[in-house]
Amino acid sequence: MEQLRIIQRNETPAEGRFAVEVKHVSKSYGETEIYSDLHFQLLKGTFVALVGPIGSGKTTMLNMFAGLDRPTSGTIVVMGHDITKMPDDVLGEFRASTVGFVPQVQTLIPELTVRENVELPLHFAKVEGENRQRKTDYVLEKVGIRGESKRIVSTLSVGEKQMVSFARAMVNDPPILLLDEPTEALDPLMAEVILGLLRGDNLTQGKTVFVTTHDRRVTELARRTLRVKKKIP
Amino acid sequence: MSRGVSLHEGQLLARSLKVSKSTHLVVASVAAAVAANATAAILMTGTVGQIVLLALIFVTLAAGTSAISSDIYVRSSQTIANLRSIGASSRSLSSAIFLSVIGYGIAGSALGAGLGAALGVVLGGQGGIVSLSIAVLGVILASSAAAAAGVYAGGRRVWSN
Repeated sequence: MEQLRIIQRNETPAEGRFAVEVKHVSKSYGETEIYSDLHFQLLKGTFVALVGPIGSGKTTMLNMFAGLDRPTSGTIVVMGHDITKMPDDVLGEFRASTVGFVPQVQTLIPELTVRENVELPLHFAKVEGENRQRKTDYVLEKVGIRGESKRIVSTLSVGEKQMVSFARAMVNDPPILLLDEPTEALDPLMAEVILGLLRGDNLTQGKTVFVTTHDRRVTELARRTLRVKKKIP
Repeated sequence: MSRGVSLHEGQLLARSLKVSKSTHLVVASVAAAVAANATAAILMTGTVGQIVLLALIFVTLAAGTSAISSDIYVRSSQTIANLRSIGASSRSLSSAIFLSVIGYGIAGSALGAGLGAALGVVLGGQGGIVSLSIAVLGVILASSAAAAAGVYAGGRRVWSN
């Protein structure tokens, strides 16, 4: 059984300063312990990269921040809300309004158009008619895919799908953006487009961005880097 | 915050979950077939028989629509997980499936009840306007309630698993 530990820089806790607070979190899948007594905070408005070997639990951590997975023990507080105790439906509404998530595996709905995929989180957050249209147009324009808005997602390339995922994560202007290996499997040109979006564009400005990556270009953008490393038993 | 789904949201979710025209056709045709036979039989039987027939409609249609509903959830489990990752609640997904199916259940049962009433009269059943209206209305109500209960139960069964 491999145990992981996280190396972090020290930061002074202060109420209201943190987008995410991880308090003594442990996570296991059956007998396999992924994290043990994890304790750290992410400051609001910072860009944080999480690096570490493949299979080390980086995606698990993102999923826990998004409330898609729950810790075995401990507490995760996101924007002041303890998401570990939220019922599923409340968590869904919270996620729709607070967290933009770009997963590593494409989770777009292939039967829907680009526009329909991007506006889905707005439906879930109960954003109505004209406001929904305005927000969707804005983010499609900023990400540079407005011209593709009527295309069915199943006809897009991998890179185009990643752009749509990014637009969908940003459409509701969430304070927290979680990205799982955002430049993985992209050609250099598409990767550069994603990096451009992360580099101080006003879509991501002021947001807490937490990204897992193996890409040095992404870690160079980060203000803080957390490393997950295997602990020798 | 509203818990239901708007028409547009319901349509998007139904398409995402692959609730297709075939699904609608299955629901409508099953409801029509059951309603037609039951209405004709109701016109040719007494009160006790009528109650038994209405109960039979309810049970069979509820079982059928429950199975259809469960099937939609099971074959779309990955899509449901994806939708939940961007904020969909179990309630909004259940509502979308319910709304996309229930209309066809009601339409099918109304059509079937009308055909069944005509068949019942031709076969020598009660032909008075009051008897016909009660039979048709009873069958439509029983079928609609069954479709609603079935879709709901199918969803509940999957969510609880």
